[in-house]
Amino acid sequence: MVFDNPLLLGAIGAGLAVGIAGFGSGVGAGIAGASGAGVIAEDPSKFGTAIVFQALPQTQGLYGFLVAILILFVFQSAPEWAMVGAGIATGLAGLSAIGQGIASSAGLGAVAEDEKIFGKAMVFSVLPETQAIYGLLVAILLLVGVFGKSPGATTIAALGAGLAVGFAGLSGIGQGITAAGAIGATARDPDAMGKGLVLAVMPETFAIFGLLIAILIMLGIMF
Amino acid sequence: MKKLRAVILDEKMDKVVRELHEEGLVELCDLASKLEDPEWAGLLSPSSPAPYIRDVSALLIKTNRFLDLFDSVKEEEKGGLKELLNPTLPPKEKVNFSSADEVIAYGRSLLEEVEGEVKELADRLNHLENRINYLQQLKSYLNYLKDFEVDLEYLKSGPYTYVVVGLIPEERVSQLKEKVSSITDNLSEVVEGKPVVTGERERKVPVVVVTLKEYKDKVSGELRRSGFERIEVSNLKGTPGENLERIEKEIRECEKEREDILNKLRELAKKWYRKLLVLHELLEIEKERAESYTYYGRTERTYMLEGWVPEKYVDRVKNTIERASEGCGVVEVREPDEPEEKIPVMLDNPKPVKPFEMLTEMFAPPKYNEIDPTLLIVPGFLIFYGIMLTDAVYGLLLTLIGLFVWKKLGKVSEGARNIGYILTLAGIATVIAGIITGGYLGDFLKEFLGFDIYKTPFALVNPLGESFYINELRPLLKLGSISVDNGPIAILLFSILVGILHLFIGLVVGFKENLEKKGFKEAFLNQGIWLLLIIGLALGLVTNMPSIILATVALVVLLCIVRGYMKGGILDAMLGVMDITGFLGNVLSYARLLALCLATGGLAMAVNIMAKLIGDSVPVIGILLALIVLLIGHTFNFVMNGLGAFIHSLRLHYVEFFGQFYEGGGKKFQPFKARREYTTVN
Repeated sequence: MVFDNPLLLGAIGAGLAVGIAGFGSGVGAGIAGASGAGVIAEDPSKFGTAIVFQALPQTQGLYGFLVAILILFVFQSAPEWAMVGAGIATGLAGLSAIGQGIASSAGLGAVAEDEKIFGKAMVFSVLPETQAIYGLLVAILLLVGVFGKSPGATTIAALGAGLAVGFAGLSGIGQGITAAGAIGATARDPDAMGKGLVLAVMPETFAIFGLLIAILIMLGIMF
Repeated sequence: MKKLRAVILDEKMDKVVRELHEEGLVELCDLASKLEDPEWAGLLSPSSPAPYIRDVSALLIKTNRFLDLFDSVKEEEKGGLKELLNPTLPPKEKVNFSSADEVIAYGRSLLEEVEGEVKELADRLNHLENRINYLQQLKSYLNYLKDFEVDLEYLKSGPYTYVVVGLIPEERVSQLKEKVSSITDNLSEVVEGKPVVTGERERKVPVVVVTLKEYKDKVSGELRRSGFERIEVSNLKGTPGENLERIEKEIRECEKEREDILNKLRELAKKWYRKLLVLHELLEIEKERAESYTYYGRTERTYMLEGWVPEKYVDRVKNTIERASEGCGVVEVREPDEPEEKIPVMLDNPKPVKPFEMLTEMFAPPKYNEIDPTLLIVPGFLIFYGIMLTDAVYGLLLTLIGLFVWKKLGKVSEGARNIGYILTLAGIATVIAGIITGGYLGDFLKEFLGFDIYKTPFALVNPLGESFYINELRPLLKLGSISVDNGPIAILLFSILVGILHLFIGLVVGFKENLEKKGFKEAFLNQGIWLLLIIGLALGLVTNMPSIILATVALVVLLCIVRGYMKGGILDAMLGVMDITGFLGNVLSYARLLALCLATGGLAMAVNIMAKLIGDSVPVIGILLALIVLLIGHTFNFVMNGLGAFIHSLRLHYVEFFGQFYEGGGKKFQPFKARREYTTVN
């Protein structure tokens, strides 16, 4: 134990979770909001739609907030390094909100032109959230202590797990760009949806690599 | 789908078209492309719209004009919000017209009657509005000239003098005065009044310029350059003040008369508006019928029509055509001979599943002969939604909202009906999931009432820790070194298992489809490999023999390499190994069920914690503040996670599930059908 009170490191984890993820969500919501402002200038009745699309990249910030609350109030007795790892995982993976903002902005633009495409644009815009969900997943696994006394989840190694899923979560930015393109394609030809999804899911592969390595670290079979 | 072809005697054609249009079971095919083929062109010539389209279009324009007029005078209907939340269906008027000519005759007489009552009023209204506009303009001019207490009659050019009145920008007044006196050798007078602020918020000065006629051109040129804006008051007599009084009186009179006319028109609108809407609909329907003739081909005495008919309606349509043509028609029904992508597709699901077709169509309607995945979506969608939202109170709220949208808003909109139905079912699923996980506004009961549901037998799992049934002393099961002894890991295990089952179903369906269409090899390479992997893993786990798992994984890797090699040589063979990660990614994607399930409960808990902190720390008004935090926080959480659960549930179907067997991209069946909102035929 580094400090007498594990929450001292836990506070750093909480700060990282809400800070970095908040940064990601802020940028993402900003990108989507700019597009929303343009849309409602054209047609004020689209305000509701704009709010919905702007809400999508905000979830990452919420996940960060959630993990911070969990660390500070609920899992106070979790291993201290697990708390930091959980914070890093949720925080960095929350940067995927930037990608989601790009996708939402494209989605909003497409819906402003043609309301029928709302559902499809939504599905594409929500793709880059997967990374944040993986980050949240690893954070939960760390905090709950799913892997028992495994050194991968209780010592400084937990930071490795957080970094793996966190940085791999930045693939969400790339995915957002692909999804934005796919929304444009689908707006032109609704039949492009299936193939567009295949392309847009590609960048997720790396988030899965990150998640896998994080799980392997937490399992700690190599120690 | 069947292809229908009918040849009908020309005098019976109209009856056939009308009956098919009312029945709405046939999608017409445009024969124009066929007529490019010389063989067909020798037999048929293109057909033009039915002759009555001219009259119908003319009447339609007239009807629109009256509807616009009535729209412009109608008062806003009261009870807007109530009407919005609980729309009343317009009563349908029963109509019985057996030919376009009857509709045209009815339309003519109705419009004549309306015109007789409305025209005079409308013309007078138009005249009054023009007059009021003119007077308002004049009034604003006279207001600028109020300071000149002079009879306006004198501000007219005489035989030797040139007089002009107008406004110029304030800063140019002195310059203008100098210029005018210099070019007229002082034989001029520029009188200025008090500066005024015009409608465009500029400060301008009214001026009267008087000079000799011979300087007219020079002076008016100078005026133009200094931004002079002429005011035409030369036809008025008396001072501006007197005129203003007179004009204001006239405006009041005109407005009073206009109000009278508007009232009369409102009365007439009550009388005629609905009838005009009915007529509008009737005419639109006739127009569609007339235009449908361009789809047919014709010979000297017959028309030929082609169309798509869903198999189960073939007999009905055949009977209709034979009855309507009174035996003067030949019907032929064949299997479609066109490429599959041109054949339309009609989704045909039992009533309880039908609203879910919306979710299928949002992805893409199935291709012809492809399986309709709607029925397969239903259970997965509801289960996933329930797990992701997991809160009994939120679920109840969602059920109520769903019922409201379904029963109230759904009366006038099919889309609302479908989405309401889906939300209602999703809400019920959420209530069940909420009861299982003990989520009632998160941990509201524990936080505020001190009742920890997880210590009682009323909740099966605790998404954030241990429960009565699953805890360290009573682990659910042990997987190697991991003991499933708390909520999150139990839900994670459940999510992965559900995911594998979900993928398995998709793979089996895909395998079957491929087997029928492309043969065993394709089916095995595309879906069989993964089925093998899942079965091998399951077998290994059940019998607890890791060797089976290892052997299956090795075999599947090998098969992936072989498949890659068959597709495109060595490079693809190496990439084939990556397919395993792709499949693993699909499975892991279902872990989002746990993450989102916990996010709802966790955020609800965060709201409760904040409310409690505020309630405890702020004196007196603390309770009120806590209530506000609870209300806003839970509403926000409900909306965000309700939306998130919906889209993530869809994503799991579109990306992971459909990826195994479904492509979509068919053409939706769009029948030739009369759309009736205000009328009914039976």
